[in-house]
Amino acid sequence: MKTIPPEEEITALVGHEFPGGDYTIEHWENFLLTGCTGADPLPDGIAHPVALFHVPLYGANTSIGDMFKLGQAESDLSVIPEYYDWEIFSTLREAVKYRVTGKIIAAERRENSHGQTYDWLLFQFDMVEPGGKLAVRTSMAQQFTRNTL
Amino acid sequence: MTVPVESYQVGDCIPPWEMKSVSAEKMRTMAAILRDPNPLHWDRDAVAALPVVDTLPFKLGRRTINQGPLGLSYIINMMHDWMGPECVKRFYITFPQVVLDEDCVVARGTITALRKEGNRQLADCDVWLEHAERGVLLQGRATVQLSV
Repeated sequence: MKTIPPEEEITALVGHEFPGGDYTIEHWENFLLTGCTGADPLPDGIAHPVALFHVPLYGANTSIGDMFKLGQAESDLSVIPEYYDWEIFSTLREAVKYRVTGKIIAAERRENSHGQTYDWLLFQFDMVEPGGKLAVRTSMAQQFTRNTL
Repeated sequence: MTVPVESYQVGDCIPPWEMKSVSAEKMRTMAAILRDPNPLHWDRDAVAALPVVDTLPFKLGRRTINQGPLGLSYIINMMHDWMGPECVKRFYITFPQVVLDEDCVVARGTITALRKEGNRQLADCDVWLEHAERGVLLQGRATVQLSV
């Protein structure tokens, strides 16, 4: 049995802010990424929305590994994505420098229907385009399982 | 192109989008772009060694697990083919089951509501990714602009 982190260490994560930063989607990156989805490149420098998984993370100067560490993940395998929620206010484009911020907006200890404990973290990232308009808001809920996987 | 909202009805199906065979090679490229070190996306032996495989209702075997963003991208492709590359305004997705390399999966969706927001004509949709034997692998909701 692995030691479960104290609940107060998990709930104290609410309000944690990532360093933040800028991210520009390069053409090569969008080309390869779009190809991975099985689609043809999109016209007019439009970036495929699939980029909304990694661009907010790396733009905010964090990473999958950093997020797992924050939640005191037992292993890479122990974290289950619960949902992603992407609000797209402006079309995502290549060669645009987005200002990215990110934070943890909820952190709770929960129990699943089998009585197994897990910690539930909700991350939120904002991407702001030059000029200051909010282009995209992404939310990502992750379950940090404990002694389950 | 302006599409009159009256042309669509609640219950209408979005034309499906098929990925005939999920590619392990594309997962590897994706892992590099995402800088995701998890070997389950690029090492079949690591998947075969998973301690949890016996608890799943099917055999994973030596098949890598598709990244969540790749699975959901098939649903986005369906919406792009339907209403253009700028049509997705909101996208919520859950991950009830894994997608594996060599899976044949089909993205599907139906309109659940039609509404106007300013001068935009929007369709709220249920969307999902399904496998012929394993059923729904990903499931969620999307808001699509009908006229872009």
